[in-house]
Amino acid sequence: MIAAKGAKYAAVVRITLKQQTAYRMDFLMRSLFLLLILYVFMQLWSAAYSGQGEGAEIAGFRLKDIIWYLVLTEAFTMAFPQLCTRIEEEVKSGGIAVRLLTPISYAGYQYASYLGEAALRFVVNLACGSLIGWMLVGPPELGAGWSSIAVLGLGSFTLAFLLNLSIALCSFWVEETRGLEFILQKLQFTVGGMLIPLDLMPHWLQQICAWLPFQAVLYFPAKSAVSGGAELGAYVAQQLGWIAVMAALCAWIYSRGIRRLNANGG
Amino acid sequence: MEADRKPAERSASAAAPTRAATMAASAAAADRRKGTFWRGTLPFLLTCWKLNLAGAMEFRLSFLMTAGMMFLNNVIWLLFWGIFFDRFPDVAGWELKDVMLLWAVSAGGFGWASVLLGNFTRIAYLTANGELDVYLTQPKPLLLNVLASRMSLTAIGDFLFGAAIYAYVGDHSWTGLASFLLALLMSGLFFLFFTLAAGSLAFFFGNAEGIAFQLFNSFLAFTTYPADIFKGLGRLLLFTIVPAGFISYMPIGLLRGWDGSFMLAAAGMLLLLAALSLGLFYAGLRRYSSGNRMAMRS
Repeated sequence: MIAAKGAKYAAVVRITLKQQTAYRMDFLMRSLFLLLILYVFMQLWSAAYSGQGEGAEIAGFRLKDIIWYLVLTEAFTMAFPQLCTRIEEEVKSGGIAVRLLTPISYAGYQYASYLGEAALRFVVNLACGSLIGWMLVGPPELGAGWSSIAVLGLGSFTLAFLLNLSIALCSFWVEETRGLEFILQKLQFTVGGMLIPLDLMPHWLQQICAWLPFQAVLYFPAKSAVSGGAELGAYVAQQLGWIAVMAALCAWIYSRGIRRLNANGG
Repeated sequence: MEADRKPAERSASAAAPTRAATMAASAAAADRRKGTFWRGTLPFLLTCWKLNLAGAMEFRLSFLMTAGMMFLNNVIWLLFWGIFFDRFPDVAGWELKDVMLLWAVSAGGFGWASVLLGNFTRIAYLTANGELDVYLTQPKPLLLNVLASRMSLTAIGDFLFGAAIYAYVGDHSWTGLASFLLALLMSGLFFLFFTLAAGSLAFFFGNAEGIAFQLFNSFLAFTTYPADIFKGLGRLLLFTIVPAGFISYMPIGLLRGWDGSFMLAAAGMLLLLAALSLGLFYAGLRRYSSGNRMAMRS
Protein backbone atom coordinates (compact mmCIF):
# COMPACT_ATOMS: atom_id res chain seq x y z
CA MET A 1 0.00 0.00 0.00
CA ILE A 2 2.72 2.44 1.05
CA ALA A 3 4.91 1.25 -1.82
CA ALA A 4 2.08 1.88 -4.29
CA LYS A 5 1.57 5.38 -2.91
CA GLY A 6 5.29 6.04 -3.03
CA ALA A 7 5.39 4.87 -6.65
CA LYS A 8 2.77 7.48 -7.61
CA TYR A 9 4.81 10.33 -6.14
CA ALA A 10 8.03 8.93 -7.59
CA ALA A 11 6.32 8.99 -10.99
CA VAL A 12 5.47 12.68 -10.47
CA VAL A 13 9.14 13.38 -9.69
CA ARG A 14 10.21 11.51 -12.85
CA ILE A 15 7.71 13.34 -15.05
CA THR A 16 8.84 16.70 -13.61
CA LEU A 17 12.46 15.86 -14.32
CA LYS A 18 11.60 15.00 -17.92
CA GLN A 19 9.63 18.22 -18.32
CA GLN A 20 12.49 20.29 -16.95
CA THR A 21 15.17 18.74 -19.12
CA ALA A 22 13.01 19.45 -22.18
CA TYR A 23 13.54 23.22 -21.76
CA ARG A 24 17.32 23.47 -22.00
CA MET A 25 17.33 27.09 -23.15
CA ASP A 26 15.36 28.16 -20.10
CA PHE A 27 17.88 26.32 -17.95
CA LEU A 28 20.77 28.05 -19.64
CA MET A 29 19.18 31.48 -19.17
CA ARG A 30 18.62 30.90 -15.48
CA SER A 31 22.18 29.70 -15.04
CA LEU A 32 23.53 32.78 -16.79
CA PHE A 33 21.55 35.00 -14.43
CA LEU A 34 22.91 33.03 -11.47
CA LEU A 35 26.45 33.67 -12.69
CA LEU A 36 25.72 37.36 -13.05
CA ILE A 37 24.23 37.69 -9.57
CA LEU A 38 27.13 35.78 -8.04
CA TYR A 39 29.56 38.02 -9.87
CA VAL A 40 27.81 41.10 -8.43
CA PHE A 41 27.88 39.67 -4.90
CA MET A 42 31.52 38.73 -5.21
CA GLN A 43 32.37 42.27 -6.24
CA LEU A 44 30.35 43.66 -3.36
CA TRP A 45 31.88 41.42 -0.70
CA SER A 46 35.38 41.85 -2.11
CA ALA A 47 34.93 45.64 -1.84
CA ALA A 48 33.64 45.26 1.73
CA TYR A 49 36.51 42.97 2.82
CA SER A 50 39.16 45.06 1.06
CA GLY A 51 38.62 47.74 3.71
CA GLN A 52 39.28 45.21 6.51
CA GLY A 53 42.85 44.28 5.61
CA GLU A 54 44.45 41.23 3.99
CA GLY A 55 43.02 37.85 5.09
CA ALA A 56 40.51 39.47 7.46
CA GLU A 57 38.09 37.20 9.31
CA ILE A 58 34.76 38.69 10.36
CA ALA A 59 32.50 36.72 12.71
CA GLY A 60 34.29 33.55 11.65
CA PHE A 61 34.00 34.22 7.92
CA ARG A 62 36.92 34.86 5.60
CA LEU A 63 36.17 36.31 2.18
CA LYS A 64 36.50 32.84 0.69
CA ASP A 65 33.95 31.43 3.15
CA ILE A 66 31.51 34.22 2.35
CA ILE A 67 31.80 33.58 -1.39
CA TRP A 68 31.17 29.84 -1.04
CA TYR A 69 28.36 30.57 1.41
CA LEU A 70 26.76 32.79 -1.25
CA VAL A 71 27.29 30.17 -3.97
CA LEU A 72 25.27 27.73 -1.86
CA THR A 73 22.49 30.11 -0.80
CA GLU A 74 22.07 31.31 -4.38
CA ALA A 75 22.12 27.75 -5.74
CA PHE A 76 19.29 26.86 -3.34
CA THR A 77 17.29 30.05 -3.87
CA MET A 78 17.35 29.88 -7.65
CA ALA A 79 16.41 26.21 -7.54
CA PHE A 80 13.09 26.83 -5.78
CA PRO A 81 10.21 26.67 -8.29
CA GLN A 82 7.53 29.37 -8.37
CA LEU A 83 4.88 27.45 -6.51
CA CYS A 84 2.58 30.42 -5.79
CA THR A 85 2.27 31.36 -9.45
CA ARG A 86 1.55 27.75 -10.37
CA ILE A 87 -1.18 27.18 -7.78
CA GLU A 88 -2.69 30.63 -8.30
CA GLU A 89 -3.02 29.90 -12.03
CA GLU A 90 -4.61 26.53 -11.32
CA VAL A 91 -7.17 28.13 -9.01
CA LYS A 92 -7.94 30.97 -11.43
CA SER A 93 -8.21 28.76 -14.49
CA GLY A 94 -10.13 26.03 -12.70
CA GLY A 95 -7.38 23.53 -13.55
CA ILE A 96 -7.29 22.57 -9.89
CA ALA A 97 -10.60 20.72 -10.44
CA VAL A 98 -8.80 18.12 -12.56
CA ARG A 99 -6.03 17.70 -9.99
CA LEU A 100 -8.57 17.17 -7.20
CA LEU A 101 -10.24 14.40 -9.20
CA THR A 102 -7.03 12.38 -9.57
CA PRO A 103 -6.26 9.70 -6.93
CA ILE A 104 -3.29 11.57 -5.51
CA SER A 105 -3.08 14.09 -2.69
CA TYR A 106 -3.04 17.66 -4.04
CA ALA A 107 -0.30 18.84 -1.66
CA GLY A 108 1.58 15.57 -2.18
CA TYR A 109 1.52 16.00 -5.94
CA GLN A 110 2.78 19.58 -5.64
CA TYR A 111 5.51 18.47 -3.22
CA ALA A 112 6.78 15.68 -5.49
CA SER A 113 6.76 18.01 -8.48
CA TYR A 114 8.50 20.76 -6.47
CA LEU A 115 11.15 18.37 -5.22
CA GLY A 116 11.92 16.99 -8.68
CA GLU A 117 12.33 20.43 -10.22
CA ALA A 118 14.25 21.93 -7.28
CA ALA A 119 16.73 19.02 -7.06
CA LEU A 120 17.60 19.20 -10.74
CA ARG A 121 17.93 22.97 -10.73
CA PHE A 122 20.06 22.85 -7.58
CA VAL A 123 22.57 20.47 -9.13
CA VAL A 124 22.90 22.66 -12.23
CA ASN A 125 23.09 25.85 -10.14
CA LEU A 126 25.71 24.37 -7.86
CA ALA A 127 27.84 23.35 -10.85
CA CYS A 128 27.59 26.83 -12.42
CA GLY A 129 28.09 28.64 -9.10
CA SER A 130 31.09 26.47 -8.23
CA LEU A 131 32.67 27.34 -11.54
CA ILE A 132 32.65 31.08 -10.86
CA GLY A 133 33.45 30.62 -7.17
CA TRP A 134 36.44 28.46 -8.02
CA MET A 135 37.67 30.97 -10.59
CA LEU A 136 37.45 33.93 -8.22
CA VAL A 137 38.46 32.59 -4.80
CA GLY A 138 39.82 29.10 -5.41
CA PRO A 139 38.43 25.65 -4.63
CA PRO A 140 35.98 25.09 -1.77
CA GLU A 141 37.34 23.71 1.50
CA LEU A 142 34.11 22.22 2.77
CA GLY A 143 35.37 18.81 3.96
CA ALA A 144 32.55 17.24 5.95
CA GLY A 145 30.43 20.22 4.89
CA TRP A 146 29.37 18.32 1.75
CA SER A 147 27.37 15.93 3.93
CA SER A 148 25.60 18.94 5.47
CA ILE A 149 24.43 19.98 2.03
CA ALA A 150 23.03 16.51 1.39
CA VAL A 151 21.32 16.17 4.78
CA LEU A 152 20.04 19.71 5.27
CA GLY A 153 19.31 20.19 1.56
CA LEU A 154 16.24 17.94 1.58
CA GLY A 155 14.91 19.71 4.67
CA SER A 156 15.61 23.04 3.00
CA PHE A 157 13.53 22.12 -0.07
CA THR A 158 10.76 20.75 2.11
CA LEU A 159 10.55 23.82 4.32
CA ALA A 160 10.76 26.19 1.35
CA PHE A 161 7.90 24.24 -0.23
CA LEU A 162 5.76 24.48 2.90
CA LEU A 163 6.41 28.20 3.37
CA ASN A 164 5.43 28.85 -0.24
CA LEU A 165 2.48 26.49 -0.03
CA SER A 166 1.08 28.37 2.97
CA ILE A 167 1.00 31.50 0.80
CA ALA A 168 -0.06 29.78 -2.41
CA LEU A 169 -3.10 28.30 -0.65
CA CYS A 170 -4.27 31.83 0.12
CA SER A 171 -5.32 31.93 -3.55
CA PHE A 172 -8.46 30.10 -2.36
CA TRP A 173 -9.43 33.41 -0.75
CA VAL A 174 -7.60 36.19 -2.60
CA GLU A 175 -7.05 36.69 -6.33
CA GLU A 176 -3.42 37.76 -6.17
CA THR A 177 -0.75 36.03 -4.06
CA ARG A 178 2.26 37.33 -5.96
CA GLY A 179 2.76 40.24 -3.57
CA LEU A 180 2.86 37.94 -0.54
CA GLU A 181 5.26 35.65 -2.41
CA PHE A 182 7.51 38.64 -3.05
CA ILE A 183 7.58 39.49 0.62
CA LEU A 184 8.37 35.90 1.58
CA GLN A 185 11.16 35.85 -0.97
CA LYS A 186 12.67 39.07 0.36
CA LEU A 187 12.44 37.81 3.94
CA GLN A 188 14.49 34.82 2.79
CA PHE A 189 16.98 37.19 1.20
CA THR A 190 17.45 39.19 4.40
CA VAL A 191 16.49 37.56 7.67
CA GLY A 192 16.83 34.15 6.02
CA GLY A 193 20.52 34.81 5.49
CA MET A 194 20.69 34.55 1.70
CA LEU A 195 22.53 37.81 1.13
CA ILE A 196 24.40 37.99 4.40
CA PRO A 197 25.14 35.28 6.98
CA LEU A 198 23.20 35.78 10.19
CA ASP A 199 26.51 35.85 12.14
CA LEU A 200 27.32 39.22 10.54
CA MET A 201 24.03 40.78 11.61
CA PRO A 202 23.59 42.89 14.74
CA HIS A 203 23.04 40.79 17.87
CA TRP A 204 19.42 41.93 18.39
CA LEU A 205 18.51 40.87 14.85
CA GLN A 206 20.22 37.50 15.24
CA GLN A 207 18.01 36.87 18.26
CA ILE A 208 14.88 37.67 16.25
CA CYS A 209 16.02 35.48 13.35
CA ALA A 210 16.57 32.58 15.72
CA TRP A 211 12.80 32.47 16.30
CA LEU A 212 11.86 32.55 12.63
CA PRO A 213 11.66 29.62 10.19
CA PHE A 214 13.53 31.38 7.38
CA GLN A 215 17.04 30.63 8.65
CA ALA A 216 16.36 26.88 8.40
CA VAL A 217 15.94 27.15 4.61
CA LEU A 218 19.18 28.77 3.48
CA TYR A 219 21.38 29.71 6.41
CA PHE A 220 21.53 26.27 8.04
CA PRO A 221 22.79 24.28 5.03
CA ALA A 222 25.16 27.00 3.79
CA LYS A 223 26.63 27.84 7.23
CA SER A 224 27.02 24.20 8.17
CA ALA A 225 28.71 23.47 4.84
CA VAL A 226 31.30 26.27 4.99
CA SER A 227 32.10 25.48 8.61
CA GLY A 228 32.87 21.83 7.85
CA GLY A 229 29.60 20.29 9.04
CA ALA A 230 29.41 22.14 12.35
CA GLU A 231 26.17 21.95 14.39
CA LEU A 232 24.61 19.56 11.91
CA GLY A 233 22.54 17.75 14.56
CA ALA A 234 21.08 20.94 16.03
CA TYR A 235 20.24 22.30 12.60
CA VAL A 236 18.50 19.07 11.53
CA ALA A 237 16.43 19.08 14.73
CA GLN A 238 15.35 22.69 14.22
CA GLN A 239 14.56 22.08 10.56
CA LEU A 240 12.35 19.10 11.43
CA GLY A 241 10.59 21.18 14.08
CA TRP A 242 9.77 23.93 11.59
CA ILE A 243 8.71 21.40 8.97
CA ALA A 244 6.23 19.91 11.46
CA VAL A 245 4.84 23.35 12.37
CA MET A 246 4.51 24.49 8.74
CA ALA A 247 3.01 21.17 7.61
CA ALA A 248 0.34 21.49 10.30
CA LEU A 249 -0.35 25.09 9.28
CA CYS A 250 -0.63 24.16 5.58
CA ALA A 251 -2.97 21.25 6.39
CA TRP A 252 -5.19 23.60 8.37
CA ILE A 253 -5.26 26.27 5.62
CA TYR A 254 -5.94 23.63 2.96
CA SER A 255 -8.79 22.01 4.89
CA ARG A 256 -10.50 25.40 5.32
CA GLY A 257 -9.78 26.66 1.82
CA ILE A 258 -10.82 23.57 -0.11
CA ARG A 259 -14.32 23.72 1.40
CA ARG A 260 -14.99 27.16 -0.01
CA LEU A 261 -13.39 26.55 -3.40
CA ASN A 262 -15.66 26.80 -6.41
CA ALA A 263 -13.86 25.73 -9.56
CA ASN A 264 -15.34 25.88 -13.00
CA GLY A 265 -13.13 24.62 -15.76
CA GLY A 266 -10.01 22.53 -15.92
CA MET B 1 3.88 55.37 -53.67
CA GLU B 2 6.68 55.71 -56.19
CA ALA B 3 4.28 56.89 -58.88
CA ASP B 4 2.71 59.44 -56.56
CA ARG B 5 6.00 61.04 -55.67
CA LYS B 6 7.30 61.67 -59.16
CA PRO B 7 4.70 64.22 -60.36
CA ALA B 8 5.11 66.13 -57.12
CA GLU B 9 8.88 66.26 -57.62
CA ARG B 10 8.36 67.49 -61.15
CA SER B 11 5.95 70.23 -60.18
CA ALA B 12 8.32 71.32 -57.42
CA SER B 13 11.20 71.65 -59.86
CA ALA B 14 9.02 73.42 -62.44
CA ALA B 15 8.12 76.18 -60.00
CA ALA B 16 11.18 76.52 -57.82
CA PRO B 17 10.10 78.12 -54.53
CA THR B 18 11.66 81.33 -53.31
CA ARG B 19 13.72 81.29 -50.09
CA ALA B 20 10.94 83.11 -48.23
CA ALA B 21 8.35 80.68 -49.47
CA THR B 22 10.51 77.75 -48.37
CA MET B 23 10.93 79.28 -44.94
CA ALA B 24 7.21 79.96 -44.66
CA ALA B 25 6.44 76.41 -45.72
CA SER B 26 8.87 74.92 -43.21
CA ALA B 27 7.51 77.22 -40.49
CA ALA B 28 3.99 76.11 -41.35
CA ALA B 29 5.08 72.48 -41.26
CA ALA B 30 6.70 73.06 -37.86
CA ASP B 31 3.49 74.72 -36.66
CA ARG B 32 1.50 71.81 -37.96
CA ARG B 33 3.79 69.39 -36.14
CA LYS B 34 3.57 71.47 -32.99
CA GLY B 35 -0.19 71.66 -33.42
CA THR B 36 -0.33 67.91 -33.94
CA PHE B 37 1.53 67.38 -30.68
CA TRP B 38 -0.59 69.78 -28.61
CA ARG B 39 -3.92 68.96 -30.23
CA GLY B 40 -3.36 65.30 -31.09
CA THR B 41 -0.58 63.42 -29.34
CA LEU B 42 -0.71 65.04 -25.90
CA PRO B 43 -4.48 64.73 -25.39
CA PHE B 44 -4.17 61.14 -26.67
CA LEU B 45 -1.48 60.36 -24.11
CA LEU B 46 -3.44 62.04 -21.33
CA THR B 47 -6.50 60.01 -22.24
CA CYS B 48 -4.44 56.80 -22.26
CA TRP B 49 -3.08 57.56 -18.79
CA LYS B 50 -6.49 58.55 -17.48
CA LEU B 51 -8.08 55.33 -18.76
CA ASN B 52 -5.20 53.19 -17.50
CA LEU B 53 -5.59 54.70 -14.06
CA ALA B 54 -9.37 54.30 -14.16
CA GLY B 55 -8.84 50.65 -15.12
CA ALA B 56 -6.50 50.18 -12.17
CA MET B 57 -8.98 51.82 -9.84
CA GLU B 58 -11.63 49.35 -10.94
CA PHE B 59 -9.98 46.84 -8.61
CA ARG B 60 -8.94 49.27 -5.92
CA LEU B 61 -7.98 46.79 -3.21
CA SER B 62 -5.89 44.72 -5.61
CA PHE B 63 -4.24 47.91 -6.89
CA LEU B 64 -3.37 49.10 -3.38
CA MET B 65 -2.09 45.69 -2.38
CA THR B 66 0.05 45.28 -5.49
CA ALA B 67 1.59 48.74 -5.24
CA GLY B 68 1.98 48.39 -1.45
CA MET B 69 3.73 45.04 -1.76
CA MET B 70 6.26 46.47 -4.20
CA PHE B 71 6.90 49.35 -1.82
CA LEU B 72 7.42 46.89 1.01
CA ASN B 73 9.61 44.70 -1.18
CA ASN B 74 11.96 47.63 -1.78
CA VAL B 75 11.96 48.51 1.91
CA ILE B 76 13.10 44.97 2.73
CA TRP B 77 16.02 45.41 0.31
CA LEU B 78 16.99 48.53 2.19
CA LEU B 79 16.86 46.49 5.38
CA PHE B 80 19.58 44.30 3.87
CA TRP B 81 21.65 47.35 3.03
CA GLY B 82 21.11 48.69 6.55
CA ILE B 83 22.48 45.44 7.97
CA PHE B 84 25.36 45.45 5.49
CA PHE B 85 26.45 48.99 6.23
CA ASP B 86 26.07 48.38 9.95
CA ARG B 87 28.91 45.87 9.56
CA PHE B 88 30.84 47.73 6.83
CA PRO B 89 30.14 51.50 7.20
CA ASP B 90 32.17 52.43 4.12
CA VAL B 91 32.18 50.30 0.96
CA ALA B 92 34.27 51.69 -1.91
CA GLY B 93 33.51 55.20 -0.64
CA TRP B 94 29.75 54.63 -0.48
CA GLU B 95 27.66 55.09 2.64
CA LEU B 96 24.18 53.84 3.48
CA LYS B 97 22.61 57.14 2.44
CA ASP B 98 24.15 56.85 -1.05
CA VAL B 99 22.75 53.36 -1.51
CA MET B 100 19.32 54.48 -0.30
CA LEU B 101 19.36 57.26 -2.88
CA LEU B 102 20.55 54.77 -5.49
CA TRP B 103 17.46 52.70 -4.79
CA ALA B 104 15.30 55.84 -4.89
CA VAL B 105 16.68 56.78 -8.32
CA SER B 106 16.52 53.26 -9.74
CA ALA B 107 13.08 52.32 -8.40
CA GLY B 108 11.67 55.82 -8.96
CA GLY B 109 12.97 56.02 -12.54
CA PHE B 110 11.72 52.55 -13.41
CA GLY B 111 8.49 53.48 -11.62
CA TRP B 112 7.56 56.54 -13.68
CA ALA B 113 8.54 54.88 -16.95
CA SER B 114 6.44 51.80 -16.17
CA VAL B 115 3.48 53.82 -14.99
CA LEU B 116 3.35 56.13 -18.01
CA LEU B 117 4.79 53.85 -20.70
CA GLY B 118 4.22 50.45 -19.11
CA ASN B 119 4.47 48.31 -22.23
CA PHE B 120 8.18 48.91 -22.68
CA THR B 121 8.97 45.69 -20.84
CA ARG B 122 6.61 43.70 -23.10
CA ILE B 123 7.86 44.63 -26.56
CA ALA B 124 9.38 41.20 -27.18
CA TYR B 125 6.17 39.47 -26.09
CA LEU B 126 3.94 41.72 -28.20
CA THR B 127 6.14 41.25 -31.24
CA ALA B 128 6.60 37.50 -30.93
CA ASN B 129 2.87 36.98 -30.42
CA GLY B 130 1.74 39.21 -33.28
CA GLU B 131 0.01 41.63 -30.95
CA LEU B 132 1.36 44.70 -32.70
CA ASP B 133 -1.29 44.21 -35.41
CA VAL B 134 -3.95 45.97 -33.43
CA TYR B 135 -1.73 49.05 -32.88
CA LEU B 136 -0.71 49.16 -36.53
CA THR B 137 -4.32 49.63 -37.56
CA GLN B 138 -4.86 52.64 -35.33
CA PRO B 139 -4.21 56.21 -36.56
CA LYS B 140 -1.84 57.07 -33.69
CA PRO B 141 1.96 57.24 -33.36
CA LEU B 142 2.73 53.53 -33.21
CA LEU B 143 5.46 53.29 -30.58
CA LEU B 144 3.84 55.82 -28.28
CA ASN B 145 0.52 54.05 -28.64
CA VAL B 146 2.08 50.69 -27.79
CA LEU B 147 4.05 52.02 -24.84
CA ALA B 148 1.31 54.13 -23.24
CA SER B 149 -1.44 51.56 -23.56
CA ARG B 150 -0.42 49.79 -20.38
CA MET B 151 0.19 50.99 -16.84
CA SER B 152 2.16 48.83 -14.42
CA LEU B 153 0.47 48.80 -11.03
CA THR B 154 3.45 47.47 -9.11
CA ALA B 155 5.53 50.31 -10.54
CA ILE B 156 3.36 52.85 -8.75
CA GLY B 157 4.76 51.36 -5.55
CA ASP B 158 8.26 51.73 -6.99
CA PHE B 159 7.73 55.38 -7.83
CA LEU B 160 6.22 56.18 -4.42
CA PHE B 161 9.12 54.34 -2.79
CA GLY B 162 11.58 56.53 -4.67
CA ALA B 163 9.75 59.65 -3.59
CA ALA B 164 9.57 58.48 0.03
CA ILE B 165 13.28 57.71 0.21
CA TYR B 166 14.11 61.11 -1.27
CA ALA B 167 11.85 62.72 1.35
CA TYR B 168 13.64 60.71 4.05
CA VAL B 169 17.33 61.11 3.18
CA GLY B 170 17.49 63.40 0.13
CA ASP B 171 18.71 66.97 -0.16
CA HIS B 172 15.57 69.11 0.21
CA SER B 173 17.03 72.33 -1.20
CA TRP B 174 15.80 73.51 -4.64
CA THR B 175 19.08 72.39 -6.20
CA GLY B 176 18.81 69.01 -4.47
CA LEU B 177 15.24 68.57 -5.67
CA ALA B 178 16.18 69.53 -9.25
CA SER B 179 19.10 67.09 -9.19
CA PHE B 180 16.88 64.30 -7.92
CA LEU B 181 14.23 64.97 -10.55
CA LEU B 182 16.89 64.99 -13.27
CA ALA B 183 18.27 61.70 -11.93
CA LEU B 184 14.75 60.20 -11.98
CA LEU B 185 14.15 61.42 -15.52
CA MET B 186 17.42 60.02 -16.85
CA SER B 187 17.08 56.77 -14.95
CA GLY B 188 13.59 56.16 -16.38
CA LEU B 189 14.80 56.94 -19.90
CA PHE B 190 17.76 54.57 -19.54
CA PHE B 191 15.37 51.81 -18.47
CA LEU B 192 12.97 52.64 -21.28
CA PHE B 193 15.47 52.72 -24.13
CA PHE B 194 17.62 49.80 -22.99
CA THR B 195 14.59 47.56 -22.55
CA LEU B 196 13.10 48.74 -25.84
CA ALA B 197 16.33 47.84 -27.62
CA ALA B 198 16.42 44.41 -25.94
CA GLY B 199 12.73 43.82 -26.74
CA SER B 200 13.20 44.86 -30.38
CA LEU B 201 15.51 41.86 -30.83
CA ALA B 202 12.29 39.86 -31.19
CA PHE B 203 11.84 41.40 -34.65
CA PHE B 204 15.10 39.79 -35.72
CA PHE B 205 15.28 36.56 -33.71
CA GLY B 206 11.63 35.59 -33.43
CA ASN B 207 11.05 34.26 -29.93
CA ALA B 208 13.45 36.52 -28.07
CA GLU B 209 11.30 36.88 -24.96
CA GLY B 210 13.74 34.89 -22.83
CA ILE B 211 16.84 36.82 -23.83
CA ALA B 212 15.02 40.19 -23.62
CA PHE B 213 13.81 39.32 -20.13
CA GLN B 214 17.27 38.27 -18.99
CA LEU B 215 18.85 41.41 -20.44
CA PHE B 216 16.29 43.53 -18.64
CA ASN B 217 16.79 41.58 -15.40
CA SER B 218 20.55 41.96 -15.64
CA PHE B 219 20.25 45.68 -16.29
CA LEU B 220 17.88 46.02 -13.34
CA ALA B 221 20.19 44.05 -11.06
CA PHE B 222 23.19 46.22 -11.94
CA THR B 223 21.26 49.43 -11.25
CA THR B 224 20.78 48.47 -7.61
CA TYR B 225 24.42 48.01 -6.57
CA PRO B 226 26.99 50.79 -6.08
CA ALA B 227 28.83 51.37 -9.35
CA ASP B 228 32.16 51.66 -7.54
CA ILE B 229 32.28 48.05 -6.34
CA PHE B 230 32.94 47.00 -9.95
CA LYS B 231 36.49 47.07 -11.25
CA GLY B 232 38.18 46.35 -14.57
CA LEU B 233 36.17 44.72 -17.31
CA GLY B 234 32.99 44.65 -15.23
CA ARG B 235 33.12 48.41 -14.79
CA LEU B 236 33.84 48.94 -18.48
CA LEU B 237 30.77 46.89 -19.45
CA LEU B 238 28.68 48.80 -16.94
CA PHE B 239 29.35 52.06 -18.72
CA THR B 240 29.13 50.72 -22.27
CA ILE B 241 27.19 47.62 -23.35
CA VAL B 242 24.98 47.37 -20.26
CA PRO B 243 24.88 51.06 -19.33
CA ALA B 244 23.35 50.52 -15.89
CA GLY B 245 26.37 52.28 -14.39
CA PHE B 246 24.94 55.61 -15.51
CA ILE B 247 22.04 55.01 -13.13
CA SER B 248 24.03 53.44 -10.32
CA TYR B 249 26.60 56.25 -10.26
CA MET B 250 23.92 58.98 -10.01
CA PRO B 251 24.09 59.24 -6.19
CA ILE B 252 27.77 60.17 -6.47
CA GLY B 253 27.98 61.89 -9.87
CA LEU B 254 24.83 63.99 -9.53
CA LEU B 255 23.24 63.90 -6.07
CA ARG B 256 26.41 64.32 -3.97
CA GLY B 257 27.64 67.03 -6.30
CA TRP B 258 27.57 67.86 -10.01
CA ASP B 259 30.24 65.84 -11.83
CA GLY B 260 30.33 67.52 -15.25
CA SER B 261 32.21 64.84 -17.14
CA PHE B 262 29.96 62.07 -15.78
CA MET B 263 26.78 63.98 -16.63
CA LEU B 264 28.05 64.73 -20.11
CA ALA B 265 28.88 61.07 -20.67
CA ALA B 266 25.47 60.05 -19.26
CA ALA B 267 23.64 62.45 -21.59
CA GLY B 268 25.70 61.24 -24.56
CA MET B 269 25.05 57.59 -23.77
CA LEU B 270 21.34 58.29 -23.32
CA LEU B 271 21.14 59.91 -26.75
CA LEU B 272 23.07 57.03 -28.30
CA LEU B 273 20.87 54.46 -26.59
CA ALA B 274 17.71 56.32 -27.67
CA ALA B 275 18.90 56.41 -31.28
CA LEU B 276 19.88 52.73 -31.17
CA SER B 277 16.64 51.52 -29.62
CA LEU B 278 14.39 53.60 -31.90
CA GLY B 279 16.48 52.54 -34.90
CA LEU B 280 16.19 48.87 -33.90
CA PHE B 281 12.45 49.16 -33.30
CA TYR B 282 11.61 50.83 -36.60
CA ALA B 283 14.08 48.74 -38.60
CA GLY B 284 12.57 45.67 -36.99
CA LEU B 285 9.06 46.88 -37.67
CA ARG B 286 9.75 46.73 -41.39
CA ARG B 287 10.44 43.00 -40.96
CA TYR B 288 7.40 42.46 -38.78
CA SER B 289 4.81 40.01 -39.97
CA SER B 290 2.08 38.07 -38.25
CA GLY B 291 -0.58 35.50 -38.93
CA ASN B 292 -4.23 36.44 -39.39
CA ARG B 293 -4.73 36.56 -35.70
CA MET B 294 -7.85 38.26 -34.37
CA ALA B 295 -7.09 40.11 -31.16
CA MET B 296 -8.33 42.98 -29.09
CA ARG B 297 -6.34 45.24 -26.84
CA SER B 298 -6.59 43.98 -23.31
